[in-house]
Amino acid sequence: MDSALATLLATKLGERLLLPVRQRFDETEIRVSIAHATETLRILHDDPMLEFEMLIDLCGVDTGEEMQVVYHLSSSRSSDWLRLIVPGLERNAPRIASATSIWPGAEWMEREAYDMFGIIFEGNRDLRRIYMPDDYRSFPLRKDFYLADDASRSPAAGVRNMERAGTPQDATPATALRRTTGA
Amino acid sequence: MPQQTRPSLDDPRISIPAGSEWYEPAPTPQTERQAEFLTLKDGEMFVNMGPQHPSTHGVLRVVIKIDGEKVVDLDPVLGYLHRGVEKLCENADYHQAICYTDPLEYVSSLFCEAAPVAAFEKLMEVDVPRRAQYIRVLTMELNRIASHTLFQGWMALDLGGLTPILWSFIERDEIVDMLAALTGQKLLYNYYRIGGVNGDLNHEFMSRLGTWMSRAAAQIDSNLGLINENELFVRRTRGLGVLDAKTALRMGVTGPNLRSTGVPYDLRRDRPYLVYPELEFDIPTRTEGDSLARYLVRIDEIKQSIRIIDQVLHEMPDGPVMAKLPRLIRPRPGRAFGAVEGPRGVYGTYAISDGTDQPFRMRIHDPSFVHLQLVGPLTRGNLIADTMAVMASLDPVMGGVDK
Repeated sequence: MDSALATLLATKLGERLLLPVRQRFDETEIRVSIAHATETLRILHDDPMLEFEMLIDLCGVDTGEEMQVVYHLSSSRSSDWLRLIVPGLERNAPRIASATSIWPGAEWMEREAYDMFGIIFEGNRDLRRIYMPDDYRSFPLRKDFYLADDASRSPAAGVRNMERAGTPQDATPATALRRTTGA
Repeated sequence: MPQQTRPSLDDPRISIPAGSEWYEPAPTPQTERQAEFLTLKDGEMFVNMGPQHPSTHGVLRVVIKIDGEKVVDLDPVLGYLHRGVEKLCENADYHQAICYTDPLEYVSSLFCEAAPVAAFEKLMEVDVPRRAQYIRVLTMELNRIASHTLFQGWMALDLGGLTPILWSFIERDEIVDMLAALTGQKLLYNYYRIGGVNGDLNHEFMSRLGTWMSRAAAQIDSNLGLINENELFVRRTRGLGVLDAKTALRMGVTGPNLRSTGVPYDLRRDRPYLVYPELEFDIPTRTEGDSLARYLVRIDEIKQSIRIIDQVLHEMPDGPVMAKLPRLIRPRPGRAFGAVEGPRGVYGTYAISDGTDQPFRMRIHDPSFVHLQLVGPLTRGNLIADTMAVMASLDPVMGGVDK
């Protein structure tokens, strides 16, 4: 645990942090709002005292109530993983600014998050499906997408589940079966 | 919906009108970048590589835009091997989720299970016994050698040399048999458990390991003689697909591909896990960043792995190999990120627990997925045949790319 990093982040990011910095094992976690996401990533990447030069992972999370985008960053100045959570993306029309202007390598990871959750990354030049076919209509990692085994629990029971149309616009939070308390 | 019949080439409706150059309608571009890719300038044409091409290390399709023999642009098409592992893991309990991650990268599956296991152990706040940590390091380093020797053969195979792959399989088979004696599986070991490993080292494993260790270094050196001194191989790879450190960091490159550009980033040193901080080893780097450097870094890593195995065998303590844990894993709500340094880069798993016995969300990060993005930028302007040399040197495994 790198406590120096926590104080540094608190001073550098200040008002942008939604919650105080949390640390556990070798992980440091911060949360910022959608409006401040790109600005925060830019500070983390450019600031000579932080130097988070590597984007290790970018992924979407569907909590059942909202969408989140989670970034895992790594810096040579700290022995901690930095986790940046951007919560509060609207579930029916999730939108966030793309990180490709800072890390061009985020392009495919954003495509994957779009493919799996329907999150629109504004500014990504190539935001289309990456794993699923182009004419596929559902977003498989959303919590209201059921596997064939769970078809009986599905609100669309009787329809072949994998082929059930689903867009962020159609989806309502009421159809989400599992919700999280911690995330 | 009426059953669609398969069109026959004799069908007059689909015959190619005289004078037409291309009979299949081009796909409608969905994005700016795709529109740019689909626009052909004078003299350019598309060539399709895959999805069954033997040199793509799995099922990858690449649409290449060429001008004569030169690659102008290319667009990898993924998803032929997509199994939805992340979704399956969300619907399985914590022990089952580990099995699902095994087949991701079938040539180095111990690393694929090590990452989720590390994340789950953080969620459960469990300490792994010392002996289990040593066993994990030992088996992971063996798997790294197996993966790198196979890479060595693949790389030569992709450049047209058939012999080295047969030689590298000698080494790999020894290690696979050794691990099969330990885990009972030849490829998808499923050996790591939350809190330890499944079973202590046995006699057959140790005797096979001893025999192999006594001649491993010499055998690997003699394999290298086949390739490293081959003029054709060196000339085709030197100066090809040059990656500089700044681009590599911006593209999210990790592992040997990053170290070949001169950045000594290795999780075993930078984010120490298991007993790595107590072991002595070097982190080989190169500064050229071309295909040859990517190959040579991996070769140097094999030698370091042998060094680590030697130390582990000398220092391994006695003791239990599993921590005491309940049968049903039910972590408290929380989030954890576990990562290990694999033969291709950082294997990471981000797990969210909601207090039930199934992970609420399990994100699997695979380095091959990121590295495959580089094939486009690195091959632009080169010859078609060099696409293979670049792709092979990046060493992607499609099982991991497609998840």
